[in-house]
Amino acid sequence: MLTRSYHPLTRIAYGLAGVVLFVLLWKAVGAFGWVNPGILPDPFLLPETFLLEWQSDRFLPAVGSSLVHYVWGLGLGALSGILVGLAAATLQRFDMLQSYVSRILRPIPPLAWVIFAIAWFKVSHAGAAFVIAIGVFWVNYFATYSAVRNIDPRFYELARSFGQGGYWRRSVSITLPAIAPGLLSGIRTGIGQAWMTMIAAELLGVPGMGQEMNAAAGVGAYDAVVVYMLAISVMYAATDLLYLLIERKVLSWRP
Amino acid sequence: MASVIEFDGLAYTHPGADAPVIQDLSLDIEAGSFIAVVGGSGVGKSTLLRAAAGLVTPEAGEMRFNLPQRPGRRRRAIVFQDSRLLPWRTVDENIAYGLETLGIDKAESAARVAEALQLTGLEELHDRWPHQLSGGQAQRVGIARALAVKPDILLMDEPFSAVDAMTRRKLQTELIRIWQSTQSAVMFVTHDIDEAVYLADRVVVLGNRPATVVENLQIDLPRPRDRNAPEFAAYVTHLSAWLGVE
Repeated sequence: MLTRSYHPLTRIAYGLAGVVLFVLLWKAVGAFGWVNPGILPDPFLLPETFLLEWQSDRFLPAVGSSLVHYVWGLGLGALSGILVGLAAATLQRFDMLQSYVSRILRPIPPLAWVIFAIAWFKVSHAGAAFVIAIGVFWVNYFATYSAVRNIDPRFYELARSFGQGGYWRRSVSITLPAIAPGLLSGIRTGIGQAWMTMIAAELLGVPGMGQEMNAAAGVGAYDAVVVYMLAISVMYAATDLLYLLIERKVLSWRP
Repeated sequence: MASVIEFDGLAYTHPGADAPVIQDLSLDIEAGSFIAVVGGSGVGKSTLLRAAAGLVTPEAGEMRFNLPQRPGRRRRAIVFQDSRLLPWRTVDENIAYGLETLGIDKAESAARVAEALQLTGLEELHDRWPHQLSGGQAQRVGIARALAVKPDILLMDEPFSAVDAMTRRKLQTELIRIWQSTQSAVMFVTHDIDEAVYLADRVVVLGNRPATVVENLQIDLPRPRDRNAPEFAAYVTHLSAWLGVE
């Protein structure tokens, strides 16, 4: 596709216009009675719903609770995925040892582990964090593994020539910096993946936004459901922004 | 004068190949001297250099480093054909790469980097990232990185073959100046006879398959050398005959 270079303000204007059009279409679907208004909330009433949720003192604790298992799940999942991926990609015997195990475990969807999460951790932050961590683990494991495999072998030759050929020297001076871009993109995918599994993980009853959504849906308060959906969207954008700031700092050497 | 490195009856076969690329190759490089190694493509010039660098292990023969190992220095340092800078390190940090395992303190390391920057004329670029450098500048950083470890011998694998002709001439002139201000010997692999005659005290021609030394020619020309002098041309003609080029 041929792309013209538009002024940034023009781009922003188009983006906002798209949002307005989307909301108007949404409103029209309800206003013209194309669907049952009971199952499609009026977008114009959402600010009011948000205010009510906020004042009910349920919103912030739910967000806070979600963040607790989000951060633990993401952190532990990413850390263990990176470590195992790194070990598998750099230690051949370990790689052979883990190859079938990872092939067996990999296809199991994170949500299938909800059952064991409840059995092992009861209904707790740990249980939800565990389910989140599993999804994040695989994303980071594969990102790290393939990043190590894609390192230009000529860098290792350089390391040997300049006295940095030992395992640790080489890992610190070549492997880790070389995989940083791949590693970070794995973490970014994990950030998104964690938000997605989080809501489902909370359906097992751990307090959080997912549980609030479930509770609201139970009483037909679909407008409240949408408020939580939008809250997730905003928080995802915030974590992604935080990621981009860190990436810019860590990968400042890239053109 | 003592020799810095001696190859004695060296042989090497590439993995999977059925014939050796070099066999029974002997060569002696004097300390502080500049040796150019020329030969047709695939003859084993780079293999010989990589053996000297310790990157391939010869299957027969011996390689002797005759100078005593000195603390804070390396016996050999290599300059690759591609500059092979680490893209996540600045120029300074790239030059310091070989110093990090030499057991020298920070001040000494900084002084070595500064000296290498100055020798290669890179002072102003010291905090740049590799992607901000031209091909010629990157190659200088590669040279500075090797010089920083104060090697007994500098191993250069067609280091100027990827830069344009103008830059190449300039780098050749500078290399001579740099070499004269250090005590390092240089083993310079090239396929360019003109370059070899311009740079080297001795030009070694590899030939035959498997390769051995077929000519070892002293270049008795004063420096700086004049590429247009008839004596220069005579050396080039003589060496070209060995390589079958006119």
